[in-house]
Amino acid sequence: MFAAINLSALQAAAGTNQWMAIYPELMLGLLALLLLGLELVLPKAPRALIPTVAIVGLVIVLVGLGINFHTAFLNRDTFAGLLHHSDGGQFMRVFFVLSAILVCILATVTLDRQPVSKVEFYHIVIVITAALMLLVQSNHFVMFFVALETVTVGFYILVSYFRTSAYSLEAGLKYLILGALSSAILLFGIVLLYGVAGSAGQQGALPGATAEPMNFGALRGFLAANPDNFLANIGAVLVLAGVAFKIGAVPFQVWIPDVYQGAPTPVTAFLAVASKAAGFAVLLTLVLNVFSPLQEVIVPVLSVMAAATILLGNLAALSQHNVKRLMGLSGVSHAGYLLVGVIAGCREPLAVGAVYFYLLAYLLASFAVFMVMAHVSGSDDADQDLEHYANLARERPFLGAVLAVGLGSLAGIPPLAGFMGKLLIFIAAFKAAAYLPSLYWLLLVAVAGVVVSIYYYFGWIKAAFFPAWRPPPMAGDAAPPVIARVGLTAGVTMVVLAFASVILGFYQGPLGAWLVTR
Amino acid sequence: MSALPSLLAVASLPAEAGLNHYLLVSALLFAIGFFGVLLRKNTLVIYMCLELMLNASALAAVAFSRHNGTIDGLVLVFFIITVAAAEVAVGLAIIVALFRLRHTVQVEELTLLKN
Repeated sequence: MFAAINLSALQAAAGTNQWMAIYPELMLGLLALLLLGLELVLPKAPRALIPTVAIVGLVIVLVGLGINFHTAFLNRDTFAGLLHHSDGGQFMRVFFVLSAILVCILATVTLDRQPVSKVEFYHIVIVITAALMLLVQSNHFVMFFVALETVTVGFYILVSYFRTSAYSLEAGLKYLILGALSSAILLFGIVLLYGVAGSAGQQGALPGATAEPMNFGALRGFLAANPDNFLANIGAVLVLAGVAFKIGAVPFQVWIPDVYQGAPTPVTAFLAVASKAAGFAVLLTLVLNVFSPLQEVIVPVLSVMAAATILLGNLAALSQHNVKRLMGLSGVSHAGYLLVGVIAGCREPLAVGAVYFYLLAYLLASFAVFMVMAHVSGSDDADQDLEHYANLARERPFLGAVLAVGLGSLAGIPPLAGFMGKLLIFIAAFKAAAYLPSLYWLLLVAVAGVVVSIYYYFGWIKAAFFPAWRPPPMAGDAAPPVIARVGLTAGVTMVVLAFASVILGFYQGPLGAWLVTR
Repeated sequence: MSALPSLLAVASLPAEAGLNHYLLVSALLFAIGFFGVLLRKNTLVIYMCLELMLNASALAAVAFSRHNGTIDGLVLVFFIITVAAAEVAVGLAIIVALFRLRHTVQVEELTLLKN
């Protein structure tokens, strides 16, 4: 039934294994193993340096990526078409390594207060980072599925990492069940697409059927020839549903507040930034490339999803008092704005750069806020209340200022980076609306959402800057957590994040030019 | 007695199961798993239903691979099995840790995190 194994074809396939193309991922894998090895061989005292090794190693990989940004592999397929290297993929690689560095720095602040082993945390963060980098460059559904599952299984462990905390474990269980459900749905979609597209050489084969139905390019060719095929449409919608779970778009957002609250703060940040960004990078590939012949079906579905996501995220965030849930639900609304950008990308190339810029601004602002959260939170990581921020600006002006910049950027206050991100997306959506009139409605919803979001972000700033009346502490009340001392690394990181948020709002420089013209 | 063979003939399966039969079974397994995840209350049973969904995909992949004569589907099945094993290893560990702490695995009793 299968053709006899063709040796020359195998040799040709092996010839495309350009290991240099995934050098950064290989380095990260070795770094992750090195950390475990160091844990084994080092005596007790120098083991405290292992997190530093992780951070330094990640910084080296980041610098290498930056120097070698325009690699020789750009716009080429490697590994027999499993991977495709593009400058968008390069941007996302840098993005993920950057967020891994910040997560590790956050972890040095948070993990010290918990009775857990430390080294494995950094190990898993680095492995996930490598998998995320492969995920956004994958050009084949087998590669896509394996990379995605590596990320997801790693996140199951990270979310339930505080295994003495019932909150962390419960969050882990919820993420596990819903994550596995979404993976199964996505997998079924992949199999359907594979089955429909792969009947080349059979009797009654559909036009455009291909011998490589898992390959993105070949699949796109098939879909272009059969845009009305029922099974193919079902498969595409199932795959997009699985991705929508990762970005937390309505109706797949149910897990977000609970998991974000229960997960350790660095993991919440990692989920909020890297996992969501990976979802959007994948969504850009799928919607604008692989499934682009199906846009008749996909664009209306995504539009309804985007509107519901913006509205529900913002309205649900209004009533939150736990700041981790607040970050989660406001993150849902950010996913909605980004979805608007993805939809606009179907007609307006500027939107793709706008989405990347928005993600970068979101990374800077979110990590600034999470850094402050890591310092303000006490030993109970799941219980981080708005009340704990009372008088923060007076007692700790530095933390208060970083918090204000981060929240202001998330809310989209000019001239911060978050404002520029929203502006770029709205401009792109407005341009694309000439071809897709439903985008006018989406823009209306998005602007209304931004206005609502200012209310709860400023509620948080108000809690930090204007002392509220508090009842005198009763006998049974838990004392508010003691704010941690800001270490050198964390302090420098916060300064850099806050300044980057401000500067990127005024001056986008070569980065902005590259994003807009690419 | 004479009516029985003709009844059987009407209801009997074809000599060889075709692609559609496999896909029907696969879709049924997927649906059973999906509704099991939504409706069951015991975490372990939910977990089994998740595995059922993955296996439904594996069955469909094998059926398509056989029908289409492409090998990618079989390769995907290996990865599905690997991923399912990794998920079970991590998932059962989480469930056991949670049981030690809370002495329950019923979802309606795991409600520390809520609005």
